[in-house]
Amino acid sequence: MVSASSTGALVTIPAANLMRFQLFVLLPALAAAPSAAAQVSITGIRDLTFGQVIVGIPSSVGPSHPTKSGQFRITAPLSSKVQVRFTLPDALAGPGGAQLPISFGSNDAMAIGSAPGSTPITFNPKATRNPQFQPSTAYDVFIGGTVTPAGNQQPGSYAATITLTITNF
Amino acid sequence: MRTAIVLSALVAAGLTAGAATAEAQNSASIQATATVLSALTVAAGNNLQFGNVTPGVNKTIAITDAGVGTFTVTKAATSGVTLSFTLPTNLASGADQLPIGSWTGAWNTSATTAGANGFTPSAAGTNTSVTAGTSLTVFVGATVSPVAAQAAGNYSGTVTMSAVYF
Repeated sequence: MVSASSTGALVTIPAANLMRFQLFVLLPALAAAPSAAAQVSITGIRDLTFGQVIVGIPSSVGPSHPTKSGQFRITAPLSSKVQVRFTLPDALAGPGGAQLPISFGSNDAMAIGSAPGSTPITFNPKATRNPQFQPSTAYDVFIGGTVTPAGNQQPGSYAATITLTITNF
Repeated sequence: MRTAIVLSALVAAGLTAGAATAEAQNSASIQATATVLSALTVAAGNNLQFGNVTPGVNKTIAITDAGVGTFTVTKAATSGVTLSFTLPTNLASGADQLPIGSWTGAWNTSATTAGANGFTPSAAGTNTSVTAGTSLTVFVGATVSPVAAQAAGNYSGTVTMSAVYF
């Protein structure tokens, strides 16, 4: 006869079922243990904002722009191995189905680690990237781009989604 | 035996779950946004006309006077613009100079000075409010100060106004 108590309740389990009881206790403990994968996170911080653009005039935002560049934050345990990949739109959608072309240059993405003295690294947002979480355990990833309104572009508000995906190994 | 089977199944399940998180994907999204505005145009309207002036007597054209200079701006609705000027300090008649200054200005969403918004024209620029209109009329006045010995003649200068969305 074995007894165990939990939050004041008394449970009595026959000796014949002792092995199964131990297994069921063990499994939730394993599931609750944080894995390296579970500790990797990504958050969208700021939209890429072109603001007002004029028909016929391209407008660019650099990844280092302090307020208009898009921003994500990735956190991961020290020495984590991850791959970073953008999913980028070709156009922003506007009124009545109008499309506003958007393009991304080879230096339109930038990452900077959280560790003191980290140097910003520019990279091509159309290529995958494998940041080293050493010594930083967090990276801010910024993105810029260029919109090119046509001469007869329909005035109005345009938007599209930029997604950053991290795959941790 | 039954316990062993349960153990095997649970361990296998645990390993499978572990494999799923070993190459987990995680993603987040932001928006890329832009507001497209129609083209901004500036057109010259009436010249700033002082007419006849008397040597030694200043003459002012106020924004409500008939000789006021005007520009028109066509812009996107609900977007303000910055009005900036290149202003002469003299009108010229050949080599003769007629000082001009004390510039005054006003803008309105209609072609009338009634209810117009006054400002001082400058190179630094003046922001209009974000109005619902798509057209602005800008009025410009000034004062010429002919000296007593001002040479007779026709004097002219160029006033340039630029507009840009802010």
